[in-house]
Amino acid sequence: MAEVVLEDLSFRYPGAAADTLAGLNLTVMRGEAHALLGSSGSGKTTLLNLLSGLLPAQHGRILFDGQDVSQVAPWQRGVTQVFQFPVLYEAMSVAANLAFVMRDIPDKQRSERVAEIAGKLGIDSVLDRRPAGLTLVQKQLAAIAKALVRPGVSLVLLDEPLTAAEPEHKWQLRQTLKSLQQELGATMIYVTHDQTEALTFADRVSVLHQGVILQTATPQALVEKPVHEHVGYFVGTPGMNLLEGIIREGGCWVDGIRLAAIHAADGPCKVGFRPEWARIEQRSNNVVDKATNTLPVVIRGTRTLTTSRGQSLGLAVARLGESEVVTRQTLTGLETGAGWLSIDPERILCFRDGWRLTDHA
Amino acid sequence: MHDNRAWFGVLPVLLIVSFSAVIPLITVVNYSVQDIFDVDTRLFVGLDWYRETLRDPRFLDALLRQAGFSILILGIEIPLGILVARALPTEGRRVGLILVLMAIPLLIPWNVVGTIWQLFARPDIGLLGSFVNGLGVEFNFTANRLDAWITLLMMDVWHWTSLVALLTFSGLSSIPSAYYQAATMDGASRWQVFRHVELPRLKSVLMIAVLLRLMDSFMIYTEPFVLTGGGPGNSTTFLSQYLTTMAVGQFDLGPAAAFSVLYFLVVLLLCWLFYTSMTTNAEEQ
Amino acid sequence: MLELNALVLKAGSPPFSHRFEAGQINVVLGRNHSGKTRLARVIAGLDAPESGEVLLGGKVVTGDPPGKRSVALVYQDFVNYPNWTVFENLASPQKAQRVSAALIRERVLEIAGQMQLTEFLDRYPDALSGGQQQRLAIGRALAKSADVLVMDEPLVNLDYKLREALQVELRGLLREFGVSVVYTTSDPRDAFALGDTLLLLADHRLLQAGPPLSLYESPGSPAAADLMSDPCANRWMVGGDLRLIRPEHLSLDPAHVDDVAFPVQVLGRETNGSETFVHCQADVAEANTQWVAKLSGLVDLAPGSREIFYASATAIMKFDAHAD
Repeated sequence: MAEVVLEDLSFRYPGAAADTLAGLNLTVMRGEAHALLGSSGSGKTTLLNLLSGLLPAQHGRILFDGQDVSQVAPWQRGVTQVFQFPVLYEAMSVAANLAFVMRDIPDKQRSERVAEIAGKLGIDSVLDRRPAGLTLVQKQLAAIAKALVRPGVSLVLLDEPLTAAEPEHKWQLRQTLKSLQQELGATMIYVTHDQTEALTFADRVSVLHQGVILQTATPQALVEKPVHEHVGYFVGTPGMNLLEGIIREGGCWVDGIRLAAIHAADGPCKVGFRPEWARIEQRSNNVVDKATNTLPVVIRGTRTLTTSRGQSLGLAVARLGESEVVTRQTLTGLETGAGWLSIDPERILCFRDGWRLTDHA
Repeated sequence: MHDNRAWFGVLPVLLIVSFSAVIPLITVVNYSVQDIFDVDTRLFVGLDWYRETLRDPRFLDALLRQAGFSILILGIEIPLGILVARALPTEGRRVGLILVLMAIPLLIPWNVVGTIWQLFARPDIGLLGSFVNGLGVEFNFTANRLDAWITLLMMDVWHWTSLVALLTFSGLSSIPSAYYQAATMDGASRWQVFRHVELPRLKSVLMIAVLLRLMDSFMIYTEPFVLTGGGPGNSTTFLSQYLTTMAVGQFDLGPAAAFSVLYFLVVLLLCWLFYTSMTTNAEEQ
Repeated sequence: MLELNALVLKAGSPPFSHRFEAGQINVVLGRNHSGKTRLARVIAGLDAPESGEVLLGGKVVTGDPPGKRSVALVYQDFVNYPNWTVFENLASPQKAQRVSAALIRERVLEIAGQMQLTEFLDRYPDALSGGQQQRLAIGRALAKSADVLVMDEPLVNLDYKLREALQVELRGLLREFGVSVVYTTSDPRDAFALGDTLLLLADHRLLQAGPPLSLYESPGSPAAADLMSDPCANRWMVGGDLRLIRPEHLSLDPAHVDDVAFPVQVLGRETNGSETFVHCQADVAEANTQWVAKLSGLVDLAPGSREIFYASATAIMKFDAHAD
């Protein structure tokens, strides 16, 4: 397994007006489980094909353990891939599929390796069968085995490998994949549009948006300290709330109310906070200014997600001027009408031109 | 409660099939067991005509020739068709144009195909014939048996290879690109890609191609009739042509009917053999 | 309104009946191959049921072809006419109904406005984003002015974030039109987000129907409990009885003296940013039946560690062992 480094990697399809990928820099450590998170059209697939070598690099370099592999053929790079649906040689048994990628290895070593990986993935009993007779999960496990079986694999790419699996199998498959990744110390890059998959699988996640990596960080950092509005919106369910605000006198203000302290140049900004960091309460008639960091809103409705101990929990939706605010909280007793929005001042983030401003005082 | 109305939908098909196939077939079987002198004078002869036909050396020769011809054209057209299909570009504006160009031989009436090749291969004024003779190789398909066969095979390959190629192309384009990507990353050679990715997925279209070409070639009539008239000698006289000579030329209705039934059974048997061997093969997967 | 009478979706499955309320959004929740798509097709008239009747406005329409019943269908893979503009796509159902050009224009503009497609009326579908394409497909179905709108997993092929946005948006859109909706899905979140009424489907039969909240709180069977739970409910046996607790009802802190304690061994942990899923082996459960606890926020628990989860006694669901 290798350390994978992208240096100023750009790509533009012939005849296209803009770069699909623009100046990517990224280091994926040896044995790291890394995820590339982005919506369709963000450049995920292009990056995947550049890493595997199916597309030749145009500008910038791809290094495996310090070696420039930008112009090396896919097979020589030692990159393997698991696709959205199980891709296997259909006329071959599972064992023959695994052996095929080790054609250049002595027989004895090869069969030992097949048995070892098959045992780890729990597909030993179907090694002699052809893919057509297997369940979807077994097939995908076989495809994962095929990607991992070859000794000396540098990098394993996973392209939304759980898309086709039933929800109840996804848990099991993801755990199998994750524990195998740790056991083998495999460098893996997992590409997906699904934040749950990305955050649960990866040690670190890179958020890709319009051909640019906005942020590479641990799941926790992406949730708590997104560096860009889009990361805040894209990670978390639902995404981050953003309100029009202004910075002056060492604080950020929305609608004339000071919400938190911040050290940044005065000027307009976006005030961001996650639904979990705020709370909406019913406002009794015409009581003004409840506290310094509380905003008057109009409660539009609620969406129950679960009930527990006689309380319903879920999302509360409110309007603040032109913007909509969503909070995740106890919904019991909350009715449409006037309300207060209070936000944890410690966690409020301010953005300008998309990017987060320096930390609070 | 079952809805039986669906049977009404099938009825027209049943009617057409019975008029086009079942009734003529029964008539033919009826003829094949009688000696017919005129409309009122018929004699039941049992299986005599069948025995006679099976002992007829001209029938057996024609059958052998027919089998040889079918095996040869399958052996050429199927691999060639696959090669052509694999060489075609998979996307871009050119694809549509190429497909249309390739379909042209399929659209030409069969007797016109025969005439085209008859002219094309003529040793005196034909483009091909005179060119080959110009090279110093003696070529005359009306006089030389081998030349006649070569011309006939070339004609059939020209006429029908694009059918195999088009079928294969449609089969190939239904293979998801991930399979090719995976094979590239596995370092599979071009042959291995064909053997392990494409061939397993082409089985059903290739089966259709083989069946179509086998049955068509086994019943070939018009083109050799126009091109060689079955000659030189009887060297390119195939089953259907011999049958026509018998039934229409000589008015031997009884033997011709027995011949027809045997002919039909042979074709049926071939189809069945191919179909079962290929479907059981597919099920094993 | 729409009624199903002794409907059998698949040979050998038990018949079921259901009356859909007019103007409601009815969510049909079931796993893959549970018969959701089949039910959608039977209602739309694309498939014939094994037996039983579909009634629209009190009239049996079981044998009627799709064109003859007042039902519109939206598919998973947003089907639009690729060589027609957004306007022409939205106009197509009414053109088929021979409505005058002026009326068509009026209706198209109205629907385009509600579907937020007004600025794209001259574009072709492939120049739209995935979410816009699906809104167009829904708009086209609404333009048919059918009494019933059947939507077969309309969001399943969309990106995660887009699905999240449309989930919220869709309820408002459908509400505005006042059309009766039958919406199939395998995502329990859709049920809460959209449904007035929820139908739980398993093995081509109806498990239970009712308001989402009441099905969530009092499922009639373990299978019904699992359908409303992502991941599935955790199980253990007490005597001959089966007990279930939902993953979201387990917490690390006791909230009440009567809370039930479940000692567990942590196996692993996953997070989606807003929630943490803890996979564990509970002492009360049989070996090899893993439990999952869904905790809010980011919670760090080391694999192998011993923890105690607490749950309110009222959250525990009891079934007899053969309830499935």
